[in-house]
Amino acid sequence: MAANKKKTMNQKHDRRTFLKGAATCAAAGSALIASGCNNRPLPGGDDEMSVRWKEYFKKNYQLMTPEEKEATIRRLEQLSKLDYDVDASIARTEPRGKVLFGYAFNITRCEGFMDCVQACVEENNLDRKSKTQYVRVFEMENGQMDISTGNGKYFHEVPKEDHFYMGIQCFHCEQAPCIKACPTKATWMEPDGIVVVDYDWCIGCRYCMAACPYWGRRFNWHDPEVPKEEMNKKQHYLGNRMRKKGQMEKCTFCIQRTRNGKLPACAEACPTGARVFGNLLDPDSEIRFVLKNKKVFRMKEELGTDPKFWYFID
Amino acid sequence: MLKTLKNELVPFVKDALKWNFSGSRGYQIYLCILFALMVVGFYAYTIQLTEGLAATGMSNIVSWGLYISNFTFLVGVAAAAVMLILPAYIFKDKDLHKVVIIGEGVAVGALVMCLLFILADLGGIIKAWHLAPAIGLFNWPASILAWDVLVLNGYLALNVLVPAYILFCHYNGREPVAKRYRPFVFLSIFWAVAIHMVTAFLYEGLPARPFWNNPLLGPRFLASAFAAGPALIMVVLIVIHRKTVFKIDSQIFNKLRIIIVVAGTVNLLMLFSEIFKEFYSPTHHSLSAVYLFFGLEGHNALVPWIWTSITLNLTAIVILGFNPGKNNPKILMPVCVTLFFAIWIEKGMGLIVPGLIPSPLGEITNYSPSWVEIGVTIGILALGTFVVTMLIKPALFIEQRFEELHGESA
Amino acid sequence: MNVFKKVIPVLLVWGGMLLAFSGCEGVSGHQDVMELIKAADKPVESMKPTEALPSAPLVIVKEPYQGGPFYTQSRKSEIGRFQCSSCHTGKDVTINQAKEAAHGDIKLFHGAVDDPNACDTCHNLSDRDYLGTDSIAKIDFDHSYQLCGTCHFRQKKDWVGGAHGKRVQNWAGQRVVQNCTGCHNPHSPRFSKRWPATFSLPDSVLPDQEDEG
Repeated sequence: MAANKKKTMNQKHDRRTFLKGAATCAAAGSALIASGCNNRPLPGGDDEMSVRWKEYFKKNYQLMTPEEKEATIRRLEQLSKLDYDVDASIARTEPRGKVLFGYAFNITRCEGFMDCVQACVEENNLDRKSKTQYVRVFEMENGQMDISTGNGKYFHEVPKEDHFYMGIQCFHCEQAPCIKACPTKATWMEPDGIVVVDYDWCIGCRYCMAACPYWGRRFNWHDPEVPKEEMNKKQHYLGNRMRKKGQMEKCTFCIQRTRNGKLPACAEACPTGARVFGNLLDPDSEIRFVLKNKKVFRMKEELGTDPKFWYFID
Repeated sequence: MLKTLKNELVPFVKDALKWNFSGSRGYQIYLCILFALMVVGFYAYTIQLTEGLAATGMSNIVSWGLYISNFTFLVGVAAAAVMLILPAYIFKDKDLHKVVIIGEGVAVGALVMCLLFILADLGGIIKAWHLAPAIGLFNWPASILAWDVLVLNGYLALNVLVPAYILFCHYNGREPVAKRYRPFVFLSIFWAVAIHMVTAFLYEGLPARPFWNNPLLGPRFLASAFAAGPALIMVVLIVIHRKTVFKIDSQIFNKLRIIIVVAGTVNLLMLFSEIFKEFYSPTHHSLSAVYLFFGLEGHNALVPWIWTSITLNLTAIVILGFNPGKNNPKILMPVCVTLFFAIWIEKGMGLIVPGLIPSPLGEITNYSPSWVEIGVTIGILALGTFVVTMLIKPALFIEQRFEELHGESA
Repeated sequence: MNVFKKVIPVLLVWGGMLLAFSGCEGVSGHQDVMELIKAADKPVESMKPTEALPSAPLVIVKEPYQGGPFYTQSRKSEIGRFQCSSCHTGKDVTINQAKEAAHGDIKLFHGAVDDPNACDTCHNLSDRDYLGTDSIAKIDFDHSYQLCGTCHFRQKKDWVGGAHGKRVQNWAGQRVVQNCTGCHNPHSPRFSKRWPATFSLPDSVLPDQEDEG
């Protein structure tokens, strides 16, 4: 009898301890969540909580109506002021008909100056802390074409003798493996050929990153940091607006520029004119001239990705 | 009907909880340790939530690490329950039929851990609802990850509901209605194969990663799963045999041993095939294998691990094959633990990390998990062990009681 | 009957998978880029860029281009001392140290190492306001490409077509390209060696993260 009583006592004690522990955890957990939220007023009269709430529940950009797109942009501009103290203007420029963007890279002309890399970092508000770069330049020894034999971390006077330089970035493949891989359709190809990411829809599983054969995609392992005075305020929803931790990002062919007729920042910055950009559907364009008259090749073409980025030699 | 259900369900749950939280001093200490480890994991995860995944050791090159390694390995363990169900239901093996419920308990625990590892690895966990078919956008059938979400959850449902039904019936002293659950048991056999093939396809379907992009990956996953999973089940059964009144017949140990040896041998054969392919005529695509087995450009963190794994694997299979102890649990236990550990290395970090090194542009880096990653992993493993305990302990009570009342169960 | 029951779930799973996978993109018809390009052989009206070009004087290029007339930047407005004939009146220049003062910054490094260009390879000695030589017609400074192209005819063909050189600011709308001297110093056209603008650390997440090994 006494043994039974002792056993029941142990059971009760054990249950009690367990419940106490669980309650503490729950309290701690909710305190943690609550402490992360402030409720500051925003320009335009709304309060922070309702704006963030609406942002959290918004749809994938592909499913939004124009009004919803306008609304989310207004909210993001408000949050930009709050989070970064920057008056960003976020556009949602639509793709034009009869436009398919293509890119060509002249490996005879590239001297490895990396002006393109730096211009991209500044144009697209890339994280300075982790030195995120969409564009990479590889120093290749003469006689080899496989980029895996090259050196992407060089830092010395260029061009180095007996070497040539190859730039690489997202190729905006027509048969992009990243689009197929994404479980939530957070990345897709726009009608004008740009492969975009809806940053707020991305859940950060990084499957697309594993799927890309060209190392074209970057992940925000922490909240990106861009100095306020260097931040590019002319932004696009699918382009260079500020991202948060846990979101994928990539080269967007400078969608905020190219949909307005401007060259992407990398093409504009190149001092040697090694980069050609244009509309593949315009037979009179420079990119079509290159494809027609130059010996071109695409990287890892055998993988069936059908990239819209060609390399050529003078 | 509903009233009787309520009348029966409430005492069932109450009793299950009672059985779970009472026991010997040793058992209670064991539970406390598990709780402590879960708290460690929870704390580590809060750090990851506030800092972002920068708190882990992952980078843009090694973008998947300890979490996904454990997920990959544990899907195999979960699928291995089928290695008990298949002989029990199709070959009508009476011995293994008795321990099917334990296998399913292990499967559920492993599956819960898989889902938690995926969630822990997500950069935006609070946005996970974006995956849900109706309220989010579900990229099915194109994305293999979408397939994986479906098959894993389906398998979890199968492995929870079918044993729950059987146990519930046994608890109330009646036989479960065979035609209600047997179709689902047969479905779960094929579903088990499916979950592991689909998980293998996650990696197999990526031409960007030549280390993974080979047709042998799916079958290799199955072979290693059917060696590691039953090894774990063997360990669990030995613990049950020693620590509880539920005795396991040595015939069961023998049959499990044979399953492990066959699957383990096939696994080693496939390993040999992979090694041949990579090293007989090395290409640029072989660099990942070179990194794993020999190191690349001074980066050789995984080299000691993989060679240890292969050695332990071979040794364990040989010992199990020759069976020097004649199914003596004193020998079976450490050998199975060793085999489990060896396959955990080769299928976890030994598969995921080399697949990502070198990067598609040939860049090499080292990866080592941070303390946050290790903390969260330990927490999830503890939680999985806890789940398995919670499922098996009442199951044992119920089965024992049912057997005493009705003789051998069907 | 018993066997049938076992077979049904198998069939369901297999059939389902077959159906589902048949919906995958690999099977459906998707035109590849080269086919899209071949099909796009009609001229397309270029979109109008939203931002105007920087206001520099432009001249129309006197070369036929597939997309119609295109422009390049005027050069004469960039040269500080144009008109050259203000000093070079036809007689010798007698101002003390005029050569160093006016043209001391010019390093001439153009042409073959053992047979380099001289000033008069490109500059018209009879009329200093123009380029060219007496044997080639007078070439306006704004249309220097005509001169460069006499030797560098491949690059000129590429420059006209778009494979060489650079557009100014826009890919769309009115085509304005850099003229030769916009990128190349005509006296020393080869790009000099320099340090890159930045460097890459592809595996860094935080700056203090060490590369192990």
